[in-house]
Amino acid sequence: MSGRHTGAVVIDPSPPVAAHEPRFRRALGGAAVPLLAAAGLAAFWLFPNDLGLMTRIAATALYVLSLDLVLGFGGIATLGHAAMFGTGAYAAGIAAVHLVSDPLVLLAVGGLAGGLVALVTGALILHARGLTLLMLTIAVVQIVQEVVNKARDLTGGSDGLSGIEPSPLFGLFRFDMFGRTSYLFALAVLLVGFLVARRIVRSPFGLACRGVKEDPLRVAALGGSPRRYLVTLYAVAGVFAGVAGALTAVTSGIVGLDSVSFSWSAEALVMLVLGGAGRLVGAVIGTVAFMTIHHVMAAIDPFHWMLFIGLFLMGTVLFLPGGIASLADRLIKGNRA
Amino acid sequence: MTALLDVQGLSKNFDGLQVSADITLALHPGERCALIGPNGAGKTTFVNLVTGVLAPSSGTIRLAGQDVTRLSAQARVRLGLIRSFQVARLFRSMTVREHLELAVLERERKTFRLFASVRRTPGLADEVAGLLDGMGLVPVADTAVGALAYGQQRLLEIALALALKPKLLILDEPAAGVPHSESHRILDALDRLPADLAVLMIEHDMDLVFRFAKRIVVLAQGRLLCSGTAQEITTDPRVREVYLGSRANAPH
Repeated sequence: MSGRHTGAVVIDPSPPVAAHEPRFRRALGGAAVPLLAAAGLAAFWLFPNDLGLMTRIAATALYVLSLDLVLGFGGIATLGHAAMFGTGAYAAGIAAVHLVSDPLVLLAVGGLAGGLVALVTGALILHARGLTLLMLTIAVVQIVQEVVNKARDLTGGSDGLSGIEPSPLFGLFRFDMFGRTSYLFALAVLLVGFLVARRIVRSPFGLACRGVKEDPLRVAALGGSPRRYLVTLYAVAGVFAGVAGALTAVTSGIVGLDSVSFSWSAEALVMLVLGGAGRLVGAVIGTVAFMTIHHVMAAIDPFHWMLFIGLFLMGTVLFLPGGIASLADRLIKGNRA
Repeated sequence: MTALLDVQGLSKNFDGLQVSADITLALHPGERCALIGPNGAGKTTFVNLVTGVLAPSSGTIRLAGQDVTRLSAQARVRLGLIRSFQVARLFRSMTVREHLELAVLERERKTFRLFASVRRTPGLADEVAGLLDGMGLVPVADTAVGALAYGQQRLLEIALALALKPKLLILDEPAAGVPHSESHRILDALDRLPADLAVLMIEHDMDLVFRFAKRIVVLAQGRLLCSGTAQEITTDPRVREVYLGSRANAPH
């Protein structure tokens, strides 16, 4: 008897299936990049005093996008995604302090480091699924954090790593004190990352990963190797997370231990669930919503801002299980009815 | 002519319990064969042994002359040994078209193309259109499988198996769960299977078995009881005997 796979993934926030959804989703996806670019540039003119925050949002959105590849499209439940983000940030930071200063090279260093960590740890832990896998990902991020903490000479330990001074972008655009270059650079990297992620999602590989997410044994019965797909996906997402970490390091000039923490991993998950896992726009929307609420609420009430985030998350999960990004679906379906 | 599937002396023990005992069976290209037997006869175990889900305790399995006894299930799929599932095992949120695209891409080993477009893969759209048409699934091509009627899911199971270009197709109760009034749609689809394909069907619905299979193999208590045409099977006293206790399944 072929025991049906019991869908051991703990976190599966994908919206309920509906007929004829993909075509509509595709149309929405086509408008996503121009809309994101327009919104990003509009924010640049509208909020010139918040460029620092907006830069962090853009870099974090790339990080959450990477988590979406892993969780939303591969069904890999993880609470250790900061292992890749932090490794990328530290690798770029250390390289900037000792070796190179070109910002694009630093992003490449971060991406390589993040991808490598994901490839090695993924090959070790991705035979597990569900709760076991969740525990293993937490173990990985804790180990990486401890290694970073112990390597004080390179990383600065708990004091953090500072003195990251990237050279002008393309040798032309200095990273100015107002953060204009930083923001536009981060926005551009996010948009490129979004385009590449979308390409991967729509590729034969992306299709196979979606199959693995739903039923790995069925994919095996089609002749595929579920574990090879997952490890590859994990490594690819590791590159994205590493670039996001490097982008944060380059634009902020510092890297701290919190960038390789369990809580930073969990926050990414919260942002993704808020926005809507399994769709790339969801990652970006969730990040913007979470970090904006965080910023506004922390200014109003520095002691209880987590309460508002918590309430907002509960409201979203209860009333919009597909995340904020599914609002558009509902509106359009409502109009049709 | 050499047999496409050649099973010799296949046995399987689970902790001393023999669930398959010395089964020898050959299937030739183009053959339409049904495997029947009362519940607990070891039909599913036999399928799992042939497809590589279980490793046999003894015996050999050859596919087109090649010994596949020690090959993994995936390696056997790539050699053209394909099965469909008793309970439709499909990807609920994916559309019918996406299922077939994935199967064709798997067969052509193109699934590690990270930056290629599924939609722009040469020849894919045409092949998928052909498969959709063959199973009458064109109207629901872009429907998520979770929203399909059960009978359509069964047809998609068969289309999915065909997309892998099988040499030997094992159909595990293709009409299970389909209302009797609709099982003719499954049979119509089975009638259109490629002529050179060898098919082994495991089925309880005797109407379907008699209409589809030219040869019927009866399994009882893990052993091959007999093999023959529908007429030979129904008149065989041994077959009547094994089915006596479970009248619901009795051939009539």
